[in-house]
Amino acid sequence: MTESPRARIPSVADSGTASTSTAPTPRQLWTRSRGIALAVVVLLVAAVAIAAVRSGDRHGRLDPRSADSQGSRAVAELLADRGVSTRVVTTVKEAGDAAGPDTTLLVADPDLLDDRRQSRLHDATVDSGGRTVLVAPGSPSVSKLAPGVTADPAASFDSTLSPDCALPAARRAGSADVGGVRYDTLVPGAEACYLDDGLPSLLHLPATSAKDVPSKDVPSTDVPPKTGDSAAGPPKNKAEHAPQKGNQAPSEPPARGDTVILGAPDILFNDRLDEHGNASLALQLLGSRPHVVWYLPSLSDDALDDTADDDSFFDLIPSGWLWGTLQLTVAAVLAALWRARRLGPLVPEELPVAIRASETAEGRARLYRKANARDRAASALRSATRTRLAPLVGVPAARAHTPEALLPALAGRLHSPGQDPHALLFGPPPTDDADLTALADRLDALESEVRGS
Amino acid sequence: MPVTGRTALLAAIGSLPVGVVAPSWTGFLAVNVPLALACACDFALAAPVRRLRLTRAGDTTTRLGEPADVQLTVTNPTARPLRGELRDAWPPSSWQPGTEVTASRNRLDVPPGERRRLTTRLRPTRRGDHRADRVTIRSRGPLGLFTRQGSHRVPWTLRVLPPFTSRKHLPSKLARLRELDGRTSVLIRGQGTEFDSLREYVPGDDTRSIDWRATARQSAVAVRTWRPERDRHILLVLDTGRTSAGRVGDAPRLDASMDAALLLAALASRAGDRVDLLAHDRRVRALVQGKAAGDVLPSLVTALATLEPELVETDARGLTATALRAAPRSSLIVLLTSLEAAPIEEGLLPVLPRLTQRHTVLVASVADPHITEMAGARGSAEAVYDAAAAAQAQAERRRTAEQLTRYGVTVVDATPDDLAPALADAYLSMKAAGRL
Repeated sequence: MTESPRARIPSVADSGTASTSTAPTPRQLWTRSRGIALAVVVLLVAAVAIAAVRSGDRHGRLDPRSADSQGSRAVAELLADRGVSTRVVTTVKEAGDAAGPDTTLLVADPDLLDDRRQSRLHDATVDSGGRTVLVAPGSPSVSKLAPGVTADPAASFDSTLSPDCALPAARRAGSADVGGVRYDTLVPGAEACYLDDGLPSLLHLPATSAKDVPSKDVPSTDVPPKTGDSAAGPPKNKAEHAPQKGNQAPSEPPARGDTVILGAPDILFNDRLDEHGNASLALQLLGSRPHVVWYLPSLSDDALDDTADDDSFFDLIPSGWLWGTLQLTVAAVLAALWRARRLGPLVPEELPVAIRASETAEGRARLYRKANARDRAASALRSATRTRLAPLVGVPAARAHTPEALLPALAGRLHSPGQDPHALLFGPPPTDDADLTALADRLDALESEVRGS
Repeated sequence: MPVTGRTALLAAIGSLPVGVVAPSWTGFLAVNVPLALACACDFALAAPVRRLRLTRAGDTTTRLGEPADVQLTVTNPTARPLRGELRDAWPPSSWQPGTEVTASRNRLDVPPGERRRLTTRLRPTRRGDHRADRVTIRSRGPLGLFTRQGSHRVPWTLRVLPPFTSRKHLPSKLARLRELDGRTSVLIRGQGTEFDSLREYVPGDDTRSIDWRATARQSAVAVRTWRPERDRHILLVLDTGRTSAGRVGDAPRLDASMDAALLLAALASRAGDRVDLLAHDRRVRALVQGKAAGDVLPSLVTALATLEPELVETDARGLTATALRAAPRSSLIVLLTSLEAAPIEEGLLPVLPRLTQRHTVLVASVADPHITEMAGARGSAEAVYDAAAAAQAQAERRRTAEQLTRYGVTVVDATPDDLAPALADAYLSMKAAGRL
């Protein structure tokens, strides 16, 4: 790491050597990225086109502000003509707050609510005294929102059904497009209408209490639509009752709310409102109270856990701390970016093979140990000792392993008594590991004695 | 994003005014927008990396274990001063272990229109060719808040030669070689020794070596002296197959074989013999032929530098055929391989007669000191089992060596440190005995 003395170069700018830089030139960048850019453009165009084609009839479904074929603006307009106001809410909190004795709460798609929202909604409506209209709740939601009611898994075959019941609204409306989900109930006093194969598609549950609220607590105020003034065109009026002013509150508002379960949303659609008795049924069901709260469940409903009087942790700490922490987070991200940038990529290199040359011998030693091969180990040790002894005592290597040649030559070199070279060099294999260890030591002793003599 | 620690520090300090003075979007933006602007200015004022010019100079070869200096000249043709950091990236084995980061990084400060030379000191830990990877430069702006980074490819290759550690034995072996020269025939008479010169008789010379004709021509009694024969052909054959990959101590067997081959080549070229080299496993890896005596060692070293063991079984038949082609006349073939029983018995033994028929063959093998260590292990049952396995391995090697000896082959089996001198000794004794 040394720096040379300064050297002024006359014309470095126009030295003709080719650049060694690995950075891509703009042309290379364009060549490389144009495929991806083209793919992204194609993807975006396709996404927009598909969205435009597919959005169609599902857009604004059951929205009282929508004039699409599956919207519900016609019903809302008809209700407004009769003095019934319609308010759209999108959160369960608003829906619960709006529920009251003079309010009809319409839940557009109860299946979109999760368990907690369902129970929250049920808690809010059960004591409100108003009416709750559930539009086509399936089995996930009906048992929670209307206890005692179950949805039959098989849908109704026909969409247009006839009332077959004593519910005045149904009787006045006549046949209507309510065929959809079919329900079964054990609630006493429930009125089952529009039966298909024995099961109803419209269910009217009285106020859920043990009080002697009569099951026929349907308000007497029926609101048949006026003809010719609706956005959806004149519905065929089957309700022959003389219209009364819709804002006339029910004379005896029930102490507890009743619940209407509709098997299908069709009677609320703009394009179906003028068929059969749909308009009449819809207006009678929704026009019983001066206000309709139209609850459209939405994904933005996340304020479930915040109860009104309970400040969250973030509301309680001073804002300076929050903003300071935000700025510190920015600093932390910058620090991470600073540390994450490497000065060039890693350099790969082929690694050499690392095998120890003695691996096979070590493996054999482990095998001996595992198999307790004392006989083989002992014979290997003895043979090695004999091979080393033979030249020391003048026996040719070829005859080193014959006792008749080796032992007599050995006898002359051994002086310490009590040794049996025959047993040591040619004896039986040791019986246990201690014996084997001792054998190795005695072989060493024998060899050193011969060398020393 | 190429921000620096200073940017992060400023952002962290900015949390005080944001938290204390103006805890709102206004305060947040009042801190971060100027910071972002300063970063943008810094980026604009940093010298562009792409337009720098880099050239290299320096060492192209070095011995393993010795340092090499490679110079890098950075020219800044722009009007902006270049400050920052430079990383000269080489493969990891080019650096002394533990200094990879510090040794590859240099601080850089090149004023506009000037150039600087940086020296990178490499200490390769592996033999072979080391190729420079890219040079990465990080150019900092005047505020030190933002950087530009880019890379240049400035190719350079450093060839790392085998260390030839056994050259310390060369003087003593050369001394022994000189002793062979000028001896009278009584001591070393053999069929291969050559007539060297006549000199005056001194008491003690063998009377049989008196040249009576020469004595008759002059007044004094002259004796003939002999010298070892010259201009013999030696072919070093390195087996680079799988058995050469096994590590003995810290290095593969092949490295020990190379060391021994280099010592033998140095000795033989001084003795006036011609040395060729063949490295072979399934195919020829290196072949050095017909070099002049002064040139043979450098060309051998260069050929051996890039040689690596291959994990394939050696093709003994092909090796023999190539060796026979490379060694045209009666010569000494030194086969550096290993005495593993299976490869020798199945590969070499069937084709060995073709070699011994026309040439003298010497087999040199690297023994493993660890086996010797294991053979001496005592004290516990495990140690004794180790010793038994090692004794078994040694017995097998001995048996293989005996089989080779039966074909008239000289076998040298020694540990890596002893192999080179042992092989040189074997060569010298063969020369002294006139067996070449």
